[in-house]
Amino acid sequence: MIWFTWRQLRTQTLITAAALAAFGVLLFVTALMVTDLYADVAACTSDCDGVTKAFILRFNSSAAFTAHATALAALYVLPALIGIFWGAPLIAREVETGTHRLAWNQSVTRTRWLVAKLTVGGALAVAATGLLSWGLTVWAQRIDSASQDRINPLIFGARGIVPVAYALFAFLLGVTLGMLIRRTLPAMATTLAVYVAAAAAMPLWVRGYLVPSRHDTVPLIAESIHGMSISGDTGAIEVFGDGVANAWTVSNRTITATGATFTGPADPTVCGVQGVPAKCHEWMASLGLRQDLLYHPDSHFWSLQWAEAGVLIGLAALLAAFCFWWIRHRIV
Amino acid sequence: MTAPALKAVGLTKRYGRHHALSDCTLDIPASRVVGLVGPNGAGKTTLLQLAAGMLAPTAGTIEALGGHPASGADQLAKVGFVAQDTPTYANLSIADHLRFGAHTNPGWSQATAEERIDQLGLDPRQKAGKLSGGQRSQLALTMAIAKRPELLILDEPVASLDPMARREFMKALMGFTADDKASVILSSHLVSDLERVCDYLVVLVASRVQIAGDVDDLLAGHFRLTGPRRELAELPGGVDVIEESHTERQSTLIVRADVPLDGRSFTVEKLTLEDLVLAYMSKAMPAQPARESTR
Repeated sequence: MIWFTWRQLRTQTLITAAALAAFGVLLFVTALMVTDLYADVAACTSDCDGVTKAFILRFNSSAAFTAHATALAALYVLPALIGIFWGAPLIAREVETGTHRLAWNQSVTRTRWLVAKLTVGGALAVAATGLLSWGLTVWAQRIDSASQDRINPLIFGARGIVPVAYALFAFLLGVTLGMLIRRTLPAMATTLAVYVAAAAAMPLWVRGYLVPSRHDTVPLIAESIHGMSISGDTGAIEVFGDGVANAWTVSNRTITATGATFTGPADPTVCGVQGVPAKCHEWMASLGLRQDLLYHPDSHFWSLQWAEAGVLIGLAALLAAFCFWWIRHRIV
Repeated sequence: MTAPALKAVGLTKRYGRHHALSDCTLDIPASRVVGLVGPNGAGKTTLLQLAAGMLAPTAGTIEALGGHPASGADQLAKVGFVAQDTPTYANLSIADHLRFGAHTNPGWSQATAEERIDQLGLDPRQKAGKLSGGQRSQLALTMAIAKRPELLILDEPVASLDPMARREFMKALMGFTADDKASVILSSHLVSDLERVCDYLVVLVASRVQIAGDVDDLLAGHFRLTGPRRELAELPGGVDVIEESHTERQSTLIVRADVPLDGRSFTVEKLTLEDLVLAYMSKAMPAQPARESTR
């Protein structure tokens, strides 16, 4: 049964392996470029901020930057592709073409048949994303340590173990939807839609709460005012302070001394259309406002990685359990 | 005492309000070639899929060879099922199919499978998607035979085949029943497909079993009576009228009788199997056009 499932997935696997090999070459070549660019930082022993900044600037205008962006995109796209092209057709295509009637009348129970399908498909999904994520995480080590932004949501999703969990989740999502919808193309389209929604909801509404975030309140000073919006009619004002450096700021409110969110009103003589921004900032800083910050520092990186991977693998396990129940009780 | 090939008690399958199979009770002995005949949409596919465990009954029970259908690897190994339209994996070769069978069936006979493919003149490297309908049916049958089941169930195996392929297929099937002492159940909406190969017949019309029994017994117990209307108005006990047609003075009846009907003033004729089946079909579906299969 394992052999047969592998035989059915062979073509897709070889295509994926070829694409991964191409990525391997790309990363290897650009890793040499990064080593050259990094030489100054590597040689630096003290007071390295300047060389580090210079390294980031030079990296950002090198071909390695494009390679990094491409690999980042690939790590976001790969789980979706796995869900669509490996997960959704896994059962839907069998049911659609009637071959499940051939498969389920060999001397193998449906449960064992599904075990083989999920094991082989899941292992391939984990191997593919695992390789790419490992390659990129290792490749980007020097860049991540220089720019200190691996906890930033965009980077975070394409590092460490999280992509593997996304791939596993996408695969089982595809399998489940294929089993319910029983037609390959609609199952693929639905998988894409649901997966994109889930992958977008995760950093927006879930990730920040998986691990308790750090809470700080700091005085709002003129230099840390990042921007503001003032309503011309009411003078109501919203002030945006800078986030925390080297951390992922989840929530950033400007509050008054009583702890309420600061809403103005703005002094129209210094702020607004006639006002000078610098004056306005000074005025704002004189009000004794504070920034109320919820954030995840870089040190939360791995606990967040494990927590998010845990949630996704848990969801994948639930979907798998549902598939086993459904194939025994409901599918015809 | 071997378990019956198929035993159903009060077997019912509903799809919403539609009855695909109603209160079906059957006891088919083992080592027979059973023909399941009925018009399209009568419930033949439903019955066979229930027997193979592809479907679960709404009510009642069904056993194949004494076991609950598809209840485990052992039961699956005993029962072979070739679904209607004989599905195969289009992008896999014949050799891949045989290897699949070898990997998944403990009783698999690779020699039987290879021999049959060779006899059919098929190239094992050919993809199943490139085969003709007849060749695909033969591949599906080969897989089912090489599995060496004790009960082989075939759903409309020849419906989509041309006459030549039909004959080849039936010949292959008969070869299988001659070699092993296996039971076979095959369905068709045409009696003529089954007549020459079956020794047991089940007539299924409008989701109900109309009659089931040995072909010889059925033929020995059914007659066409023709005679004056008056004479035929009164019949002895033990005679069931299946179908009747009348002219002003003449009546023609098709009856089942387990008492002698000799020595009366009407003619008694034997029926062909086809007449017999048609009589039961028209009894169950009076002047109703055959409904299309819903499956």
